[in-house]
Amino acid sequence: MGVGDPNITRLLEHPAIWRGRSAAQRAGLPTGFTALDEYLPDKGWPRTGLIEILVTRFGSGELTLLMPALAALTRTAAARWCVWVAPPLVPFAPALVSCGMELDRVAVVGGSQPLWALEQTLGSGACDAVLGWVRQVQHRQVRRLQLAAERGRTLGVLFRPRRAARETSTAVLRLSVEPCASGARITLLKGRSAHRAVLDLPWPGS
Amino acid sequence: MAVHLHPSAVSTANVPSAPAARADGTAPSTPLRSVRPAPHTSSAQELWAGLHLNGLTPVQRLEELASRAQRFSPRVSLAPPDGLLLEVAGSLHLFGGVAGLRRELTGECGHLQPPPVLAFAPTPLAALTAARAGRALVIEDPAQLVGLLAPLPIAALRWPEETCARLARAGVRTIGAVLRLPRAGFARRFGVAQLATLDALTGRSREVRATHRSALRFRRRHELDCELSDHGRLHAALEPLLAALGAFLTTHQCGVAQLECRLLHRNGAPTSCRLSLAASRADAPQLSALFRERLSLLQLREPVRALELRADQLLPQRSPCRGLWQLGEQGGEAAEESEGLIDRLCARLGEGAVHGLARRAEHRPECAWAVTSPPALAARRATTRRAAAAEHAGPPARPLWLLPAPQPLAAQGGLPRRRGALRLLSEPERIETGWWDGGEIARDYYVAIDRHGVRLWVFREREEPHRWFLHGIFG
Repeated sequence: MGVGDPNITRLLEHPAIWRGRSAAQRAGLPTGFTALDEYLPDKGWPRTGLIEILVTRFGSGELTLLMPALAALTRTAAARWCVWVAPPLVPFAPALVSCGMELDRVAVVGGSQPLWALEQTLGSGACDAVLGWVRQVQHRQVRRLQLAAERGRTLGVLFRPRRAARETSTAVLRLSVEPCASGARITLLKGRSAHRAVLDLPWPGS
Repeated sequence: MAVHLHPSAVSTANVPSAPAARADGTAPSTPLRSVRPAPHTSSAQELWAGLHLNGLTPVQRLEELASRAQRFSPRVSLAPPDGLLLEVAGSLHLFGGVAGLRRELTGECGHLQPPPVLAFAPTPLAALTAARAGRALVIEDPAQLVGLLAPLPIAALRWPEETCARLARAGVRTIGAVLRLPRAGFARRFGVAQLATLDALTGRSREVRATHRSALRFRRRHELDCELSDHGRLHAALEPLLAALGAFLTTHQCGVAQLECRLLHRNGAPTSCRLSLAASRADAPQLSALFRERLSLLQLREPVRALELRADQLLPQRSPCRGLWQLGEQGGEAAEESEGLIDRLCARLGEGAVHGLARRAEHRPECAWAVTSPPALAARRATTRRAAAAEHAGPPARPLWLLPAPQPLAAQGGLPRRRGALRLLSEPERIETGWWDGGEIARDYYVAIDRHGVRLWVFREREEPHRWFLHGIFG
């Protein structure tokens, strides 16, 4: 029996059967890359909730993927903050500006308690986006962060190593990013009403 | 009690009710007659103590002295640079008359060397003039005022040098001699201002002096029933103090940006727990939440027997302006939440844990950025948006991550290596600048890609031995 089978089709017309693909479409945040917009479940990054980006090594292009969306968030009239929690290096201000980011909406939080700072910033309602670099995080803690992000109507982005893909996660969206020839290879690991697939995204201008 | 209304105060009170108030701030002239300044007979009920400090005194010292003098009278005014005036008619009976008050006041200034001169007179200027002349006069009867002031030299009036010199040439050296001169001629030759001084001296016209108000501050101490070392209980014991502070701030329409809680021990020096806020606050529950974070970090060497809350700098607080939109709606502002967030983060992670980023007009990458204090959300300027939009029109590639310091790379055959050979992707970008401040650099920057496909920002020094460095990661 295939998908085109008339029996299946008739069965699927039954009102008690709901299919994942027909779930309510939310308007996502445009990523700035047309191919990626098409690829992601909501035609863009979710506006609220926690997403996880798993990378094989630091600098695989994970931040470049996010920059157009973050820059657009800081440029809106009622822009809230874009907070970077415990970044491993200094975000280079001239590069942020050349990506179109407004520096007066950017705050960097250092310190020894990144998870606590992440939950505070996600749940505060003062941030549009929160980026966090956390070395060790447990399933329960991810769930706390996800709830905080929903409470504060914030997009939270957690950068984790690739090996975390083996653990389950309550994040809205999970992607894995690895560098490939003149671009990034993106694998969708988890997303609402989405298929697992691979996308090779070339960087503009390369 | 003498009620005196200053003409300017009257006129501003009249402006809103007068339909024809002029734009330049001058009041219409008709209604002023009914509220004329009180006649100068009222000065008979006053007795002023003038205090002259010998030698130069900084204004802070004078204000400090004025604050202490407020225990003798609520009406204390400063006469910079070296004088202080107190209206003491109402408080004489509390201190056993003039002699008793003089003793108390002298005791209050006991530490000052040389000791200040104290004189009493019915008008402020007379008391001050007598003290400046070094005469500790006591003039309680206004009828004796002129007679007792007459022998004082005119220098005590502190008129301009030139006026005193001209008077001296005319043979006028004492206040008595000045007062004997005809008024009209004196005003014509020496100016109306000098005549006004004489009128204020003798009480012919009333002189208004601004009353000194000492700066507000909050200090309250709470003795604990038993010695505590548990942070939670200490916080609970601090709650009533914070509630009192909240009520105090609400009453005075003030807020605090700096707050100190001192934990007093039996033996050791008190432990201080300071709170610095991003913006001034007057909300006791929020302050309490911040103190909970701060206290939990505190290392106590000894149990605490008393708590003291101090707010020395109070800032005027305006009631917050609420937006029409809810938070998160179109146009909703998140300014308040952001201040609360910064305060919470700083209270737990320490000052400087939260910072903003700024760009500097510099070609050297390590100098092209700066750390700033986190900016307030509400302050958004349209100009910055335009400037930023104009800037990102195709500048040279810059990495999103900058290394704190350039990291040396191995090289092989003139090409850099980092866990394998690096492939150079771009044309070199030469940055050669900074010769004027000693931080000179001469580098050729390249975009490189490593074995795993990570894009890096590397440079080659122009000088021998042409070493390679890693300076950024594109991310």
